[in-house]
Amino acid sequence: MGKQHLNSIALLLPLLSITANAASDLPRPRGVGPEFAKFYKDREAFTCISNPSIKLDISRLNDDYCDCPDGSDEPGTSACSYISPLSPPQPSRVKIGQFNETLALPGFYCKNKGHIPSYVPFTNINDGVCDYELCCDGSDEWDGIGGVKCEDRCSKIGKEWRKQDEARQKSLGAANKRRKELATEAGRLKKEVEDRIKTLHTQIQGAELKVTALEKSVQEIEKAEKGKVFKGTGKGGKVTVLAGLAKDRIQELGDSLNRVRDERDTARSRVEELEAILTKFKEEYNPNFNDEGVKRAVKAWEDYAAQDHAGPDEARDRDLESILSPDDEAAIKWEEFESTEEGDIELLYKFEEYLPESLRTWVDQKLRDLRVVLIENGMLADPHTDSPESKVVTDARQQLDNAKSELESDRTELRNHQEDLEKDYGPDDVFRALKGHCVNQDSGEYTYEFCYLDKTTQKSKKGGGHTGMGNFVRIEMVTVDDDLPADGKGLGSGQRYGLKYENGQHCWNGPNRSTMVILACAEKDEIWKVVEEEKCVYKMEVGSPAVCGIKEQQQQVAPTHNEL
Amino acid sequence: MFLLRAAEGPRWMAVFLLLAALCCLFSPVVMVKHENFKTCEQSGFCKRNRQFADDAASSSWVSPYALDPASITFKDGQLAATVLKTLKEGEEKVRLPLIVTFLESGVARVTLDEEKRQKGDIILRGDSKARKERYNEASNWAIVGGLDAATGAALSAEAEAGYTKVFYGDGGKHQALIRHHPFSIEFQRDGETQIKFNDKGLLNLEHWRQKVEKVEKVKVEEKKEGEEEKKEGEEENKEQEPQGEDESTWWDEAFGGNTDTKPRGPEAIALDITFPGYEHVYGIPEHATGLSLKTTRGGDGAYSEPYRLYNADVFEYELDSPMTLYGAIPLMQAHRKGSTVGVFWMNAAETWVDIVKTKSITNPFSLGLLGKTDTETHWISESGIMDVFVFLGPTPQDITRQYGELTGFTALPQSFAIAYHQCRWNYVTDEDVKDVDRKFDKFKIPYDVIWLDIEYTQEKKYFTWDPLTFVNPTKMNEHLDKRDRKLVAIIDPHIKNTNDYPVIDQMKSKGLAVKNKDGNDYEGWCWPGSSMWIDAFNPAAITWWKTLFKYDSFKGTASNTFIWNDMNEPSVFNGPETTMPKDNLHHGNWEHRDVHNVNGMTFHNATYEALLERKKGEIRRPFALTRSFYSGSQRVGAMWTGDNLAEWSHLHASIPMVLNQGISGFPFAGADVGGFFGNPSKELLTRWYQAGIYYPFFRGHAHIDTRRREPYIAGAPYTEIITQALRLRYQLLPAWYTAFHEASTTGAPIVRPNFYIHPEDENGFAIDDQLYIGSTGLLAKPVTQEGADSVSVYIADDQPYFDYFDYTLYQGAGHHTVAAPLEKIPLLMQGGHIIPRRDRPRRSSGLMKYDPFTLVVVLDKDGNASGTLYVDDGATFDYQKGAYIHRRFGFDGKRSALTSIGLGTKGTKTDAYLKAMAKVRVEKIIVVNAPSAWEGKTEVVVSEEGAKESARRKKVAFEYFAKDGKKAAWAVVRDPKVGVGKGWKIDFS
Repeated sequence: MGKQHLNSIALLLPLLSITANAASDLPRPRGVGPEFAKFYKDREAFTCISNPSIKLDISRLNDDYCDCPDGSDEPGTSACSYISPLSPPQPSRVKIGQFNETLALPGFYCKNKGHIPSYVPFTNINDGVCDYELCCDGSDEWDGIGGVKCEDRCSKIGKEWRKQDEARQKSLGAANKRRKELATEAGRLKKEVEDRIKTLHTQIQGAELKVTALEKSVQEIEKAEKGKVFKGTGKGGKVTVLAGLAKDRIQELGDSLNRVRDERDTARSRVEELEAILTKFKEEYNPNFNDEGVKRAVKAWEDYAAQDHAGPDEARDRDLESILSPDDEAAIKWEEFESTEEGDIELLYKFEEYLPESLRTWVDQKLRDLRVVLIENGMLADPHTDSPESKVVTDARQQLDNAKSELESDRTELRNHQEDLEKDYGPDDVFRALKGHCVNQDSGEYTYEFCYLDKTTQKSKKGGGHTGMGNFVRIEMVTVDDDLPADGKGLGSGQRYGLKYENGQHCWNGPNRSTMVILACAEKDEIWKVVEEEKCVYKMEVGSPAVCGIKEQQQQVAPTHNEL
Repeated sequence: MFLLRAAEGPRWMAVFLLLAALCCLFSPVVMVKHENFKTCEQSGFCKRNRQFADDAASSSWVSPYALDPASITFKDGQLAATVLKTLKEGEEKVRLPLIVTFLESGVARVTLDEEKRQKGDIILRGDSKARKERYNEASNWAIVGGLDAATGAALSAEAEAGYTKVFYGDGGKHQALIRHHPFSIEFQRDGETQIKFNDKGLLNLEHWRQKVEKVEKVKVEEKKEGEEEKKEGEEENKEQEPQGEDESTWWDEAFGGNTDTKPRGPEAIALDITFPGYEHVYGIPEHATGLSLKTTRGGDGAYSEPYRLYNADVFEYELDSPMTLYGAIPLMQAHRKGSTVGVFWMNAAETWVDIVKTKSITNPFSLGLLGKTDTETHWISESGIMDVFVFLGPTPQDITRQYGELTGFTALPQSFAIAYHQCRWNYVTDEDVKDVDRKFDKFKIPYDVIWLDIEYTQEKKYFTWDPLTFVNPTKMNEHLDKRDRKLVAIIDPHIKNTNDYPVIDQMKSKGLAVKNKDGNDYEGWCWPGSSMWIDAFNPAAITWWKTLFKYDSFKGTASNTFIWNDMNEPSVFNGPETTMPKDNLHHGNWEHRDVHNVNGMTFHNATYEALLERKKGEIRRPFALTRSFYSGSQRVGAMWTGDNLAEWSHLHASIPMVLNQGISGFPFAGADVGGFFGNPSKELLTRWYQAGIYYPFFRGHAHIDTRRREPYIAGAPYTEIITQALRLRYQLLPAWYTAFHEASTTGAPIVRPNFYIHPEDENGFAIDDQLYIGSTGLLAKPVTQEGADSVSVYIADDQPYFDYFDYTLYQGAGHHTVAAPLEKIPLLMQGGHIIPRRDRPRRSSGLMKYDPFTLVVVLDKDGNASGTLYVDDGATFDYQKGAYIHRRFGFDGKRSALTSIGLGTKGTKTDAYLKAMAKVRVEKIIVVNAPSAWEGKTEVVVSEEGAKESARRKKVAFEYFAKDGKKAAWAVVRDPKVGVGKGWKIDFS
């Protein structure tokens, strides 16, 4: 603090400091930064920085008239602020190309004693606005235009900044720590996958051997059984087996029917809801508001509504209900079949007679299919060939099939894990640790949710369903250029990791929703900002420890994609 | 649009999916829906009067109107008489009181009314509560002055028999020759007829008559609903003519599912007005059409429909069409070499105007000489009295001035209002607004105003903010105010009909809503769904409206909040032609049909009134944008051309539309930059900005379904080029403000078509794709063609013109090719002008307030130049008390001296203002087309009034740059340090 105190005295008494440093350190003209001080040492004349052929009398320095084509004679005024490719062109003095006509200085230098010095654009000098964000000492408004007075706020602003900076640094430390944890976790998860892959390799080897053995065994049993065929008809076990199979199959069919019925009910209620919406839509739309799309929609709705749609048939529903009820009188008493010893294959062929009329046709078809399947797989004898297969063969075959399917599922798992290992999980695979992890944020009338490598969602606070804003497709690098707010909760500028989500819900008159989630380092996962940049194209700015402390080289490793 | 918006919710997604499954939807065909708007054929009174015109074309036609000579009185510049309309033989003649007023300004006003209705001696059908008189209050809304009767006007004693002649105007140069039988009037200037009324005999005042029910017919033919065609017409119904009049459109009319009950029956008023020898007519906005109006009764390149004036919300309007648009100004001017004349048909009802041009060979023996062309116009209004003003020119400036004296001049806007406005439907949150604001600064793009469309409200309830998206509007306003920026929020005339909304409760309980034909509050549909409309014809409604805008009432607004009035035609989604039923009733029981075209203006007026004083003692010039307008709207704000499309053709069409607004007295006009519907290509957007900088009202706007397109979005090189264009507008703001000041005091357009500047140049009369900015001599030709790299600029005179940016010379009447690659804005300076600029780029116009000026002196072929500059505080009404700077700069080639002379008159606030501006100087003077004699000169001598003796003659550095190929010689006076508000002289000799 002592040093600062001294500095402010120096600021208050510039003359004194001139005298003190007269020989070595001339005061710089207004607006000149220390790195340009060397151009302003001559006390008689000034030479334009980029155009040394132009020499001016020193009285023209900072006299609020632009003499140098590069603006260097007016470091402390706005006189040369028009020198910019953004300004309307003006005729060159003499020949184009003779002079360098770009600004030689980065702006007006604000000393900001007590804070950090910075350059203010010349366009902002003496415009009547105190630009405290850049120039906390208020020196940008030295002329008091329109009576404006900009007090020096550097000590307050600087203090606040340092406080926040400290918090930022602290938070950054925590964020880096958190990132390390995530990276470790990601490593562990990766290891798990790798281990699993190893295990699977072993398992698959074993399973392959097993399958080979079983195949052999089935062949042998078949051979053996063939010899048996004429030795006896067995104990009528076929019907029992069949009854068992049929029971399972019927059960399956019943379940399917149940499911189909539920699906139908859901679909029906959805259609009803939609029809209600459309009815309201038709009532409320504005016939004079000439949107062709809306008009066609209404017309189409009217046509649709005018069609004769069969309503739900309650009688049929009741029938269905009874079919599905196990206690129903008409239900098949499986015990009878399971216990009976007298096998009669014919029974199976008449199976459908046991079913209620209403279901018969449907079941008949299914049974036909089943029969064909059974026959084709040798589980059921072709009714016209009298060579039934024994239970032994069936069992053996069953074992083989089980072994095969086990093997297949192991292989699938292996493939999935291998693919997973090749996927881009970001630097150090860090997103592996966060996959599926979701973050929520209220914003206006919605709550937004983003789930790492999964999906983004918009949830209305006013009720109604959720809107999918996209499903994760890839990781991209995004160039951003934002001012960083004091609390550090912003993207700042540079390259950032972006998670691209596409193919969300379709927009009326627009594309499918998509979201670009841009990540910047923060201690906690947090959605800072959600912007609908264009119709149904969203941008989320998200703080995440996952992207903290990432080095340039790592970023270069990542594929470069298009900028935002 | 609303429906589309609402469709975004998830529930609607499901609808969409189902709909998509039902049919193939959404091929985005953009086209106006003609079936929603009437053709003349579908508009009973228009059809009747066109038929009348066709019937009158027969040689045997005699107009049934005659002036009763015995009834003529003349007193204090006013002639009164009775015109008698002859009906069928034996019927009583209809008495029509005629008043011709000769005004001090040289303008004549002709009114024709219907005696029976004046007296209320008629019966309305269907127990209607409507007024019985013909509507005669349009003048209450449109006219604010200029009505002093001419003291010098006098009846001429030497009129022929059957005629009455009146001398009037300056020096009695004007005369009105009134023929008694059939009744007609010729208006002459210097003995030459300029305008003729009823020359073709199309005067048709449909007098009131009682409906005669046709009993036997109804019994027999029940199959036809509604009205019976033909048979028995007149009130007495004595004669049994084989062919009566076609009554099918007399008693009610149905269109688009709405039936107009027409309680007063047919009541149109129509008249033919001929401009003999005039080939070009301009005016009668608003139409998406060229400046020089086309003929309307078919033929090559002509329209087959009349120009229609019936303010309507036309969705995705088409170009090159006489179809009606959002506003109406029934002022037409006719122009020929050496003369401009005009008529103002002051009628607020639906109006159609047919235009026919006839060529006649004046002298068959003078081979090779072109015949003269007469323009015959036919004005048809549905109701109201006939009330027409006649202007005899002889210059375009006379017309705009005299029309302005009557209807008011353009209000001098706050200075921010002529800078750049950034709008979008919608900036969705207060954070979004602040973010856009920051981005403009980040990219160093100047802008002054950011706008909020309807989504800022809570469920479309005006005077509320959506609490979820606009959480802290006060903070947002403060944020904007830091850079002296403004916010414009939309407020429409439809008030949501819902519970828990004090505004609708107040409007209902105070009885301030427009009523339906039965006298109950009219309910229709607009953005909020069920809505009611404020009846701004009611003075009590205006009083109430004012209370709603007080800062403590409309919370979240501040002194930098301004208002945008949209949908004030009024737009009613479920109404006939997207507007109100004509039999609705307004204050005073006038039918909506009578007042329709002024409706939008009354609402806009009310908003202006409300903005005048929102906090006690804080009086600022209001800013209110309107979409609908009428003659007089220019007194209260700006207009824009409505919902255009992001297409090159719409960019092209915007130039004549804005020019037409200019010569029609409402010059504070502009089109949505970028095009409202659709996504412009980057090239189109860039060119639109380069053109938009010439709109007096300069606003970028976009539909909610479009992609974001703020200038910083486009990227290199477009953003840079757009920024240059914007900075050019800002650089020239002093010239623009001066032009606005001129408009506010003389009625002159802000951007001017060729004919207005060069009224003698016949080749340029139809040119409407280039413009002059005020009196600055700046001639701009916006690029409106895709892929163009040059434009053809038409130069009307033999003055030298110089490229604004590099001083390349163009000289000689005719077309000149000017290079116009994307980054180049074709802009020329006509020799003879002095253009004031401010060269320092700032973030907003407010921050340029104390910046020094640059003067560009462009010498003409004789080495002279002059120009004016008007400056004031740009915000308050203090200028009315002398708080302004108004200078004339003149460069005298002979004396080789530039002088600044005061044009102002001193008022109570003059000194204080000049003191505040004392440090504002002229920092640079550029002389283009500098004489070669100045070569080698390094100093000029500056003298300033009030300077100390020692500094009376001060030498200032001077630099001369010689001619370089086609680039003119130029010179710079380096910082003369003369006060902009002071008198001074710079001696170049």
